[in-house]
Amino acid sequence: MLTDATTKTTIDKNTFTITFQRKFSAPREVVFAAWTEPEHIQHWWDPTGEPLSDCTVDLRPGGSFKFTNRDSAHSPPFAGVYRVIERPAQLVFEALGAVGTVRLEGKDGMTHMTVSIRCSSSDHLEQFLKLGVDADTERTFDNLVGYLKRTAR
Amino acid sequence: MARLSKGEATVSELAKPFGLRQPTISKHLRVLEEAGFIRQRRDAQHRPRQLVVGGTLKDVDTWIRPFREQWEGRFDNLDSYLEKINKRRK
Repeated sequence: MLTDATTKTTIDKNTFTITFQRKFSAPREVVFAAWTEPEHIQHWWDPTGEPLSDCTVDLRPGGSFKFTNRDSAHSPPFAGVYRVIERPAQLVFEALGAVGTVRLEGKDGMTHMTVSIRCSSSDHLEQFLKLGVDADTERTFDNLVGYLKRTAR
Repeated sequence: MARLSKGEATVSELAKPFGLRQPTISKHLRVLEEAGFIRQRRDAQHRPRQLVVGGTLKDVDTWIRPFREQWEGRFDNLDSYLEKINKRRK
């Protein structure tokens, strides 16, 4: 595969934005479909590679979506509302209080994808990042913070 | 952490009182190690952990890592999925 299989991640602390960039060796119409059609989404959304147990999409501005992982105990559903739909160049949605933007640029049958997640404040950004931390790890940190506070002099 | 404050310990010594399996404890230790709270001492066979005093919890990379890995995993899936459907289209 010619695809450069790496994701570039950047954080802009001034705009509370996390940005991912990635290239795919598929036309952007196909990538756009993969982002917006349940029969595609369900095959890639769960990071573990498991198909989703449920995926609903109402693809119109103001329409809602909900992606439910099979292991819903550890990862809550990803749900939100679509804001902008410009097939096949751009998709904007709101989820968990953040604004997600998917931009797709096509060239020679390849797609350069930029996904940005903009939070409303630095606290929100921190909260958002912690969502990726599984509950056990987070508890470990909570315990740790408590412990350090108790032992600090 | 409380256990380590009394002195260094191996993974099995740390796992026992919590009734946790070793891989689970190892995962937690890795997180704490990356955050700089504990460190491994290389022994012949065992690698006991020691507590490091004065780590920084706000280290951004520690927070972003699980989040980043989640999205990277997702995009890796998307990459192989696109490859699969691209072949089907040809």
